[in-house]
Amino acid sequence: MTLVKEFVDGTVEIGRAMGITLKYFLRKPVTNQFPDEPVEVYPRFRGRHVLNRYENGLEKCIGCSLCAAACPTGCIFVEAGENDEENPVSLGERYAVRYEINMLRCIFCGYCEEACPTNAITLEHDFALSEYDRWDAIYTKERLLKPHAPDHIKVRSDEVFVERYGWGNTKDS
Amino acid sequence: MSDLVTLKIDGIEVSVPAGTMIIEAANKIGREIPVFCYHSKLSTVGVCRVCLVKVGTPGFDRATRQPILDVAGNPVIRFFPKPMPACSTPVSAGMEVITESKESLADRQAILEFLLTSHPLDCPVCDKGGECPLQDLTYAHGRGESRFEYQRKHTSPKKIPLGDLIVLDTERCIICTRCIRFQDEIAGDHVLAIENRGRDAKVVSYTEPKFDSKYSGNTTDICPVGALTSRDFRFKDMNKPGVRIWELTNVPSISNYCNMGSNLVLGTHVGEIRRVMPRQNELVNEIWLTNKTRFGHHFHSSSHRLTAPLIKENGKFKQATWEDALSLIATKFHEAGEHIGGIAGPHLSNEDLYLFQKLFREVLNSNNIDHRICLNSAIDDDLAYEIGVGIGTDIGQLAENSAIFLLGSDLDEEASMLYLRVRGAVRRGCHLINANGRYTKLDTVANTKLRYNYGSAVHLVLGMTATILDEGLEDKNFVYARLEGIDKLKTKLQAYTPEKVADITGIDADIIRQAARDFAKAENGIILYGAEAGNDTALHASIRNLALITGHVGKKDNGVTAILPHCNSRGAADLGVIPHRLPGYHPVADEIGMSAKEMLQPNHGLQAMYIVAADIVGEVVTCKSAIETTDFVVVQDLFMTETAKLADVVLPAKAIAERDGSYTNLERRVQVYDPAILSPTPTCWADWHIITAIAGRLGAEWTHASADGVMQEITEQVSLYKHMSFENLTKPISLERKRQHYIYSGMSFTADVREGVQWATRAENQASFFELKFIEPENDMPQSDIILVAPRVAYDGGMLISQAEILANLIQQPKATLSPSVAQRLSLSKGDTVQLTSSVGSVALPIAIDGKLPDNVVLTPRNLAGSVAEQLLDGHNIFIGVKIVH
Ligand code: SF4
Ligand code: SF4
Ligand code: SF4
Ligand code: FES
Repeated sequence: MTLVKEFVDGTVEIGRAMGITLKYFLRKPVTNQFPDEPVEVYPRFRGRHVLNRYENGLEKCIGCSLCAAACPTGCIFVEAGENDEENPVSLGERYAVRYEINMLRCIFCGYCEEACPTNAITLEHDFALSEYDRWDAIYTKERLLKPHAPDHIKVRSDEVFVERYGWGNTKDS
Repeated sequence: MSDLVTLKIDGIEVSVPAGTMIIEAANKIGREIPVFCYHSKLSTVGVCRVCLVKVGTPGFDRATRQPILDVAGNPVIRFFPKPMPACSTPVSAGMEVITESKESLADRQAILEFLLTSHPLDCPVCDKGGECPLQDLTYAHGRGESRFEYQRKHTSPKKIPLGDLIVLDTERCIICTRCIRFQDEIAGDHVLAIENRGRDAKVVSYTEPKFDSKYSGNTTDICPVGALTSRDFRFKDMNKPGVRIWELTNVPSISNYCNMGSNLVLGTHVGEIRRVMPRQNELVNEIWLTNKTRFGHHFHSSSHRLTAPLIKENGKFKQATWEDALSLIATKFHEAGEHIGGIAGPHLSNEDLYLFQKLFREVLNSNNIDHRICLNSAIDDDLAYEIGVGIGTDIGQLAENSAIFLLGSDLDEEASMLYLRVRGAVRRGCHLINANGRYTKLDTVANTKLRYNYGSAVHLVLGMTATILDEGLEDKNFVYARLEGIDKLKTKLQAYTPEKVADITGIDADIIRQAARDFAKAENGIILYGAEAGNDTALHASIRNLALITGHVGKKDNGVTAILPHCNSRGAADLGVIPHRLPGYHPVADEIGMSAKEMLQPNHGLQAMYIVAADIVGEVVTCKSAIETTDFVVVQDLFMTETAKLADVVLPAKAIAERDGSYTNLERRVQVYDPAILSPTPTCWADWHIITAIAGRLGAEWTHASADGVMQEITEQVSLYKHMSFENLTKPISLERKRQHYIYSGMSFTADVREGVQWATRAENQASFFELKFIEPENDMPQSDIILVAPRVAYDGGMLISQAEILANLIQQPKATLSPSVAQRLSLSKGDTVQLTSSVGSVALPIAIDGKLPDNVVLTPRNLAGSVAEQLLDGHNIFIGVKIVH
């Protein structure tokens, strides 16, 4: 008896599983061909940092180290210098001579962005941060200052985001 | 002293002496009232109004003059209609204070809002950010948002340099006047002022150079905002990128420049010292530091540091391993046998000095050791052992009914921290008798100024002693119980009555008598004496007699202190780095060794010399030949000094911040410093470590592995130091005492408060007995119309301080300072050069003119580059007769 029951149950289960497979086989896939196709991320996704500039080209960062103080993993290192009044690097007296983030340690919590008084450091959307050399994972100021909008990232517009799911709801609900 | 007044603060009853301000009473019970202008070490001005509190006093019936009582029988409190400043309202009986009433909270908020209307809000780039009272108070009591338009903020100039060391940001200044009060009241340098009124008010300095004060760095600590910052710590200014104060690691240490052993905190960042801040020790430096200590730390990171052992081959130094260097030293020291001598500098720690003498006495069997590079650089005395200042002496608390007799020292230059404290004592009512051959800065506050002829200080002391015995002012109980030989002294002193010494000292007999009375009648008396008083046994005996007969010995706030030159001169004497004494002031059992003076004579007969942390040639250029003629010389130091250049082997040592150890200060207080940073290379060794290694090569079986362990041995071997284990020395003080005395806030770090431990003098033992000694003074008055005086100055030509670029402009250059009338007589003007000739030598020097100098004195500091003055001195006194030729 048990043998027959097991056989029947097994067949039904396989049938149901195959049914699900078949259902998804006919749907549009949720994966995409990274990096050939860009990945869509939410606007508030927290990825690789960028150091911003003002429109006139001056750096927003004033080298205050508040981001370094706020960072829970201690992965930011800032050394400040004094602006030359003729050729200032940033607004005010002080600027960052060295600004480094160790991306291997960063947990992308966004506290640095929160702490920054001038919105100089912001977490943008890139998440593909693998390197061949561990040392390259220490991002220098020069690298962080370069405009960074890689092709493999696409940011969803806020509108879509709100329309489809509403704020604070998860996809499945 | 004064009656206690009881009042209620926030419902808590507290009793304080009448005249106390509300804020101090509130501090006593732990109620914190916000302040900007008030500072417990300064006078009260009440200008910032942030401390407003609600105050009420019991109502009185006008007719009956009785307190009005309510139905329950309690006095009715009538509150003042307006809030009162807690910092400048004295307490009164029955007063009631509400520190956080609705009104005062609103007032505080308003004051802060107004302050911020002209404050730049640049906390993110401000060096004070993170330890700024304005920031903290705004956070605690501010509105959070201003109702004033940001764009209309008052702006004024930022970054105005005040001299080489301090930068003023007028925009941040809140005109609390703390800096000005510090300069006027504590430092006595009136170099700052407020100019203009209202919104245009600003701090200015018109002296040349600006902000000319040895203590100016302290204003950056007490400034409640970031208006005064030090150039050393400001970002980039000293070629170093800026760090924020919360990124620093703070390590307790001791000043290596200060003979009081100022307590400090080294703020380090990625292995480098970035700033030096005071660490409060009410018994040593209160909350102050001298600029020399604060800014002179750069030698640690100098690129000229020695980094590996060097051995000289064919006149050239070659880098060597420790292995080779140590074996060479061991072989040569062994060959030299008894013909070996050692000189250890008084900047070494107690542990180094102890092992140094142990190496010589136990391993090399020689007593040829010394720490006094030239005799006149130290005051050779046993007075500290017998009658040094009593345990617990606190010059910072001396007040009325005490007297300080300062003899022959310019404290401002020679013991800057002591200068601040003595000045403070005088301000509180202590009687200061300042005796010297010339004007010194303490004359501005001294109650009695005695101007003796150089060489006659001993006669002055004898004259005072004679007066006291003559007028019966001696401490009769003490004389009866513990002194011997008073009658003999009385007879001897008959030849030295004030009338008889008036001529030789140049001081009026009445004035000497009055000074003697003031000193004898004071309840507490301290004698401080320096090298300008002379340097002979007669002087020391006379000082001893004066202290003994007045009973000013063996108890707190009484005793005698020599103004020794270096941070551990006392420790070197205590631990027997001296040819005739073992550690703990025991005389050597066998033959007395050679003193440094003898070792540095050309025909010293030594084959090997071991010189540790002493730049002998730099200090006394004439010693060069003595070192050159020695077969084998080992120099152990931080830098390639002039002396090291003559050596056969040079060993690299660790600097103070790279290791731990202890120093003993002028008042015999032993204090520990901690390691803060790494040495430039691992091949720099701590001095005690090197000495241990050498001893090991010579067959000794020493097992020292840490400074701590060496001190442990000292506590066992030297009874004076039996309480000086590191465990004891690093013990934080009791909470009780901390609460009473340690109120200073305004730093982002908390450092342990350690007060160090003093060893007991012989006089402290109540059963000890003293014999009065009289030594006939020889007449060693300089026989000349003009006397060269060569005191030590703070900004000297030393190797360590010269590494601090920021102090470069302050370092004094050798010159001969004359009074205007002498200059006129010789028709000299500024910039001319004169030839000074003494019985010893002759040098040419540019002149400077100082109106405060007496006409018979030319002043040439002794510890400057080239050691010019040493070439004129005879190695006995620091003054000598000279001839001046244009
Ligand atoms: S995101 Fe978080 S962990 Fe990463 S650098 Fe900023 S503060 Fe640090
Ligand atoms: S990124 Fe922002 S918080 Fe960090 S140092 Fe620069 S200005 Fe300061
Ligand atoms: S500079 Fe600082 S201490 Fe001096 S008045 Fe201004 S705020 Fe006060
Ligand atoms: S602290 Fe009282 S008025 Fe400034």
